[in-house]
Amino acid sequence: MVVRSSTHGEPSLLGLEDIHLTFPNGTVALRGVDFVAHAGRVHGLLGANGAGKSTLIKVLCASIPATQGRIVWRGEEVSFRTPFEANQAGIATIHQNIPLIPTLSVQENVFMWKRGGLRHNPDDRRQLHMLCQEIGYEVDPDDLISDLSIGARQMVCILQALSLGADLILMDEPTASLAKEEREIVYATVRRLAEQGKGIIFVSHFLDEIMALTDEVTVLRDGKVVMYSETHATSEEQVAEAIAGKTIAALDHLKTQRGTIRDEAVLECRNLASPAGLAPMDFTIHAGEVVGIAGLLGSGRSEFMHAVFGSDKQATGEVVLDGKRMRRNPGQSVREGLALIPEDRDQQAIVPVFEIWKNNSLPYLTKTALRGIVVQEDTEREWAEEAIRILNIKAEGPDDLVTELSGGNAQKVTVARWLFGDIKVLLMDEPTAGIDVGAKADILTLVRKLASEGKAVVIVSSEFEEMLTVADRILVMRDGAVVAERPAADCDDQELILLASGKGKNGNGRSVPHRTEQEGETHAQV
Amino acid sequence: MLKSDWKRHFGLRDAGVYYALILLMVILGVVTFLVGRPSYFSATNITNILYQSSMIAMMGVAMTVILITGNFDLSVGSVAALGAAVSVGLAGPLGFPAAALVALLCCASVGIMNGTIVQLVGINAFIVTLGSLTAIRGLVLILTNGRSLIVSTPEAKAQMVVFEGGKVPIQMFLIVVGIAFIVWFGIKLMRARASGTEYGPSVPGGIIGGAVLLVIALVAGPELSVAKPVIYTGLFTLIVWLVLSFTTTGRRVYAVGGNAVAARLSGVNVGAYKMAGFIVSSSAAGFAGIMFGARLGAVNPTALQGAELTVIASAILGGTSLFGGAGSVVKTLVGALLLFTLTNGFNILNLGANYQGLIEGTVVIAAAAIYTVGGKAKKKATA
Repeated sequence: MVVRSSTHGEPSLLGLEDIHLTFPNGTVALRGVDFVAHAGRVHGLLGANGAGKSTLIKVLCASIPATQGRIVWRGEEVSFRTPFEANQAGIATIHQNIPLIPTLSVQENVFMWKRGGLRHNPDDRRQLHMLCQEIGYEVDPDDLISDLSIGARQMVCILQALSLGADLILMDEPTASLAKEEREIVYATVRRLAEQGKGIIFVSHFLDEIMALTDEVTVLRDGKVVMYSETHATSEEQVAEAIAGKTIAALDHLKTQRGTIRDEAVLECRNLASPAGLAPMDFTIHAGEVVGIAGLLGSGRSEFMHAVFGSDKQATGEVVLDGKRMRRNPGQSVREGLALIPEDRDQQAIVPVFEIWKNNSLPYLTKTALRGIVVQEDTEREWAEEAIRILNIKAEGPDDLVTELSGGNAQKVTVARWLFGDIKVLLMDEPTAGIDVGAKADILTLVRKLASEGKAVVIVSSEFEEMLTVADRILVMRDGAVVAERPAADCDDQELILLASGKGKNGNGRSVPHRTEQEGETHAQV
Repeated sequence: MLKSDWKRHFGLRDAGVYYALILLMVILGVVTFLVGRPSYFSATNITNILYQSSMIAMMGVAMTVILITGNFDLSVGSVAALGAAVSVGLAGPLGFPAAALVALLCCASVGIMNGTIVQLVGINAFIVTLGSLTAIRGLVLILTNGRSLIVSTPEAKAQMVVFEGGKVPIQMFLIVVGIAFIVWFGIKLMRARASGTEYGPSVPGGIIGGAVLLVIALVAGPELSVAKPVIYTGLFTLIVWLVLSFTTTGRRVYAVGGNAVAARLSGVNVGAYKMAGFIVSSSAAGFAGIMFGARLGAVNPTALQGAELTVIASAILGGTSLFGGAGSVVKTLVGALLLFTLTNGFNILNLGANYQGLIEGTVVIAAAAIYTVGGKAKKKATA
């Protein structure tokens, strides 16, 4: 399935030589990085959170200048002062958080960079149509960005990059928030662009897509290149080892820790439904059990979590925790031992102006306080230090701002804060999305440990394989309903992918066309 | 040890408003000395500034609370006028204490109304309170029938004088509070030193604050006395500061403003905290209005027009974020003092009052620029 460019003979487009970067606060982000991107080749860039990937991208797209080193573009040394200059020269960057304007149309966003006066330029429409044909993707130029799925927005960004006539396209984790089928569209586009002679730099956390998609890989660690190789000459294990800096103990050992399920049902939901997109369902989880919920974006998995936790006020049906009926009130949920780690870390979990210790004690603040009223900062700092230790959070100390941490470490803070109360059921919505291998391992190991202590855990993840390693039982959701249930021990991620995307043999076969299915078909035409 | 980023705590961004006030006072002190005007540093002049700024400062402290919760209240000037009108109008028939209570309840209910519309209907607080700014002013005009109100009985007038007039000697009080601060934070400092743990900016800040109070008390001598509104504002600020800095309630106020969704998913009753912000703001405005009415024993329907802008300016000078989650009531208090010191300086130096607006506006923008530019990297919530 991989289209590799023939040999290594392609001309180099962009070369970085001995790039150093030290931030004004003294943090050394890059320590002598060499990096080359060739026309017609896909270059994978990997590294754990905090390895310097994002910084390198910022240097590449000229949004921050390197403190030392040479940048060579088409054989000439250059120093772009602004991202716009880099754009003009032919380097386009597709950032992770998509900088599109939601209230404008696709066409207006694609040609945002133009300085012309006309808002609706017929030439633009023609050019957009051609670009779409070039990459084999159809989009209505008049659709508003706010109406598009995240996957479609990603494609709009790619179109924008192409409209600039870019020869080198930098993609920063373009697939991190996409469902499986939306990813396939991005992959197909990347391959096609490489065939047409564009150079691609592809940043990702997903080893499988790096192995399948790229021609060469560079792995960063601690601001240095620790591995460079032709993709076909290396293996997923070697890359993973380079990223982590040690041989990752396979998470498979977690599977042997299953079997802590006790008889008592700790949480029972009857007829739980929500107008937000959850069909009535019953659900029971036992003490010590880990239930995985497999589903694509929009399958109702997050809606389910919020309905259980009580943060969805419109939900209907009954939630009984340990024999007590819940009132759909997050405050009561927290007091009674329900915990929710929401999907969107920055928007829903972290208070950005707070240090680690303040974020950490947010749910159980009353417990740290004298008579529940007077805050005890010392206790809170001790809690935070414990959290840092338990989850191996990389921070200078409890007084770091959470926003200064890398994604994986910030995620750990949102997990750790729930370890200080008497939780009975922990609801984790995509706890490992977009974080590095080491952080993932720490979080998943903790899940199994909590289960062995008799807590029940519900975990939603797009990465079915890792869910299979920690869960006892898997529920597959699609279109707001549970379509299948499997013991984790005898199913594999292939089967789950098929079930979740509506192609499985015994999904309840709902015939309603679904967005992800439509996009799947679009892909089939590609 | 002191946290490694102590440079930030004493940098322009975090402590700039203190430096600005000190700088301004020194300049005025030197200039008045040089040109032979009455000294700026006379006890009379200083207590005057405190008295003049007390109303705005009280509203500013409450404004800081509502800004921290991520909301906004433009209606405080009108609400204060409502408080003044109701308390002056009813003081004759009901007696001043009952009239003041009714006025306070009226103002609190404006806060409840603002909060309900913002929270339940989901309209932006800026728009809602812009509406109530106009509507409440209209209500004041209706209540006063467009004319000045004067308190109708001498008994009520006497009660108002007891409430608002006269001076209270505060030397002993300042000495006690100053020593308490130094001892309390000194113990904290010793403990932290002994155990080698980190401590926040409140510890050295508390010691410095205590020392400043002591110095003022000793320099000014036993005849140091301030008007009652200054005492009310001081107590109100102290209480709000204690709540924000040392209680779970205070922490949650910051959390709600910092990220409402995260606070809600952590079990905080976000709606209640945001509502409380509106009630605190309106009630404090009401109290300020009652002080205003009692000062003159009369109220004119256009009283305190535009006061909300000075109130918000004080909060901005104090470094309060308009996006919620950060702000300090002590700094707002200093911000209000800074504005009134400027005004006072113009008067004492006999400079044209025409320049006053220009200078004040420039100061506010300069302060905002310092907060925005001088410390982009970090911002933390401090009380």
